Amino acid sequence: MKTTYQINFAEELKKCVRCGECRANCPIFSESKREPDSPRGRLALVKLLQDGKIQASAELSEKLYGCLLCKTCAVNCPSGVITDEIMVGVRDYLDDVLDRNIIKKLVLRGFLTRPALLQASFSLVKLYQKTGLNDVLTRSKLIEHLPETMSAGAKILPDVSKRLARGRIPEVVKPYGEKRFRVAYFLGCATNLIYPDVAVSGVDVLARHGCEVITPAVQCCGMPHLAYGDTDTMVQMAKNNMKVLLSAQVDAVVTDCSSCSATLAESYQKLFEPGTVEYNQAKELSSKVYDLSKFLVEKTGIQPGPNPVNVTVTYHDPCHLKRGQNVFKQPRELLKAIPGVDFKEMKEADRCCGSAGSFSIMHHDLSMKVLERKISNIAASKAAVVATSCPTCTMQLSYGLKSHGIAGQVVHPVQLLAKTYKIVDYP
Amino acid sequence: MIEKSQLVKDMQALLGPEKVISSKLERYTYTYDSSFLSQLNEYYPDVVVCPMNTEDVQKIMRYAYKNDIPVTPRGAGSGQTGGSVAVKGGIVLDLSGWTDIVEIDESNMQVVVRPGIVHADLNVVLSSYGLFFPPDPGSSKMATIGGMVGNNASGLRAVKFGNTGQYVLGLEVVLPDGEVMKTGGLHSRALKSVSGINLTSLYVGSEGTLGVITQIRLKVLPKPPVRGILLTLFSSLDDAAATVLEVFKNGIIPSGIEILDDSGIKAANKFQPDLKLPEAEAALFFEINGSKAAVDFEGQQVKEIAEKRASVVEWATDPQRMGKLWQGRAVIGAASARVKAGATRIFCGEDVCFPMAKVPEALRRIKEIGAKHNTLVVIYGHIGDGNMHTAPIIDPLKPEEVEAAHRVADDIHQLALELEGSTTGEHGVGFTRSQYMVAEHGKALEIMRIIKDAIDPKGIMNPGKIWVER
Repeated sequence: MKTTYQINFAEELKKCVRCGECRANCPIFSESKREPDSPRGRLALVKLLQDGKIQASAELSEKLYGCLLCKTCAVNCPSGVITDEIMVGVRDYLDDVLDRNIIKKLVLRGFLTRPALLQASFSLVKLYQKTGLNDVLTRSKLIEHLPETMSAGAKILPDVSKRLARGRIPEVVKPYGEKRFRVAYFLGCATNLIYPDVAVSGVDVLARHGCEVITPAVQCCGMPHLAYGDTDTMVQMAKNNMKVLLSAQVDAVVTDCSSCSATLAESYQKLFEPGTVEYNQAKELSSKVYDLSKFLVEKTGIQPGPNPVNVTVTYHDPCHLKRGQNVFKQPRELLKAIPGVDFKEMKEADRCCGSAGSFSIMHHDLSMKVLERKISNIAASKAAVVATSCPTCTMQLSYGLKSHGIAGQVVHPVQLLAKTYKIVDYP
Repeated sequence: MIEKSQLVKDMQALLGPEKVISSKLERYTYTYDSSFLSQLNEYYPDVVVCPMNTEDVQKIMRYAYKNDIPVTPRGAGSGQTGGSVAVKGGIVLDLSGWTDIVEIDESNMQVVVRPGIVHADLNVVLSSYGLFFPPDPGSSKMATIGGMVGNNASGLRAVKFGNTGQYVLGLEVVLPDGEVMKTGGLHSRALKSVSGINLTSLYVGSEGTLGVITQIRLKVLPKPPVRGILLTLFSSLDDAAATVLEVFKNGIIPSGIEILDDSGIKAANKFQPDLKLPEAEAALFFEINGSKAAVDFEGQQVKEIAEKRASVVEWATDPQRMGKLWQGRAVIGAASARVKAGATRIFCGEDVCFPMAKVPEALRRIKEIGAKHNTLVVIYGHIGDGNMHTAPIIDPLKPEEVEAAHRVADDIHQLALELEGSTTGEHGVGFTRSQYMVAEHGKALEIMRIIKDAIDPKGIMNPGKIWVER
């Protein structure tokens, strides 16, 4: 199978001895209990495809898109099978040989490659919520009669009435005191559109830790394209983002979104042949990319403000941060350094919440089953606040708490840190 | 003969469509288990069904019996002999979704479960009652209790606690004609019974050839409060074996005694780099469990015995370190391939059992067999009861290496018979070892067949297993 995403299918697939260890770890299999929904089952199907025994088909595609790409199977596999990467690679292949859904094409190639268009289209979503149409549809249960993906999206999407981050954060923010680092803040699509306060807090906190912060005009990182096999579009966006970020003369590229940091740091390199200019650029960029908590803990050190927040907090590990980048100690260190935070570790903190980007919309019922276990673990922790470092996890967890009638707030760790200062909210 | 499409329709009508898997693509994921042979062939079932109660199983069996359709019960498909693969087609019963714990009878130290519950999950629940189900397969996280009963599985703690069969008090079985039978007494909660011919024992290890096990009553034990692990490394296999014998001679029965050979040590280090096992010809892991006083005392005794011959001795009681050591050993089955870049571990000839006194000779000769066929063989296993696991490490994309691995497996099975051992200590026969059954059992195999024919006269239960087809 020829793909842009660099993976040697034959070599990777032969590592699987079909021991079934992945059945114990897969959040999807633990709900369905059917072998075709297990990582081992999906790998077996990819092997059939690789061996030319079956052709690409809608049924095959549906099975392979049933994976959350949470990496749980991969990090626990005794044989070292990188199942999630194989899934990404085969989706890349399927994208080339099967007709893609027109709506997906429109989103991936239209909106997500054009930030201005994306922002403008989001105004319609705001209008939908502002007019109260969402409430009417929900209360009258008419929402259940919308096409499944639309009703799922409408249910999960939080209030998006706040002004976008890109309009609020100055292009250059000077450090408080002496400049220690020059940092590019990679403003991801979901943070910008849905959780702009996270970026506002993130930039201000960085400035308070001696960083000059610029917020370059970047495109989407490309994670949605990777997940849906549209590497052709992703390559173009990666090239553009690498050009913007590498020419910014910064010490680090920092982002509050774990999917963005995983994509910039890990996935870009897989899009290009080793030895090419772009591959070397991806490697250079990778060395500069930091998750926000990691940067604050390892590079600047945490310097909280004087105001205690006095709240019980638990932390949910986003898959792309814990298993994708081995970052899990740093967000906890950050939280524990905040005066007044009573940190409670929840059970299975690193178990996927079922969000996985748009998985919660495209496979809503299954996603909700995965979410249920997470919500019960959160409830058992008795924390009032759940911190996490991913906007789609935030969306999913917020919806889960609300739909289970559990009072609780979901925030980024940096938002709690920001509360210890008198935060600047850029007008 | 029922048409396949009719079979699917009939199953959907009997059970409801949500319990029936019929597409060819999905059925492919039921053509394999861990055995290498099952991956070289495509044994498609005609339909897969996922029963969730005894009545479902009865309906399926009545239908299959009436229409002469083969039925293959399946748990997690983590077996290594093709036991749950439908070599004759027909119906696969995927029982792995039927995970109920029917009852925990704390005061009578027993538990009643459905076949699909996973071993580790059961022990998590039991631990909150201070109980545990002792057999401890390396596949604990995925193996189902039904599969363990079907294969009479054991694992890392068999040396002290024995195999699954020693804990099965009674079974509910759906017979080939759809009738239900209970073994071990209809209403019994007794921990011992010699009432009548022991049908429970007949079904344990029968590999799904005599009926479908739908409920299992297990004896469980108080969970030992304390454990410790002694890691020892030896520059010679003989020293390792001599140490094990001396421990036994001193009246100590550890809960587990595990061995890794030199390549197994490398594989464990590659899978868990923080294990940091030094290079040696053999590593032994002694697990001691019980009361704190007993563990401290016996741990010290074993340590002193080991120090006579071992180059490294480490006594671990820290839960994190113990967890890593035990896990490092438990997953070596699949992690063995990490010793050779571009290679894979395959499961064939992987479960031979030798008399204790012949283990050093057996290990040396297995290495010779590997060298003869130019195949790296990683050796690990339960030296405490002589049950060795041998892992050929090959590139499965190279036909000559595949061919060599088959010869290695055959030689290892023959070696087990020559040294008065068994071709399988805990994984079962399936279809991968049926060719050795006549040599291993002689007349007894004929008697097994007579029993099989009496219970399953139409031969619909898991055909093609244990016996080479006539």
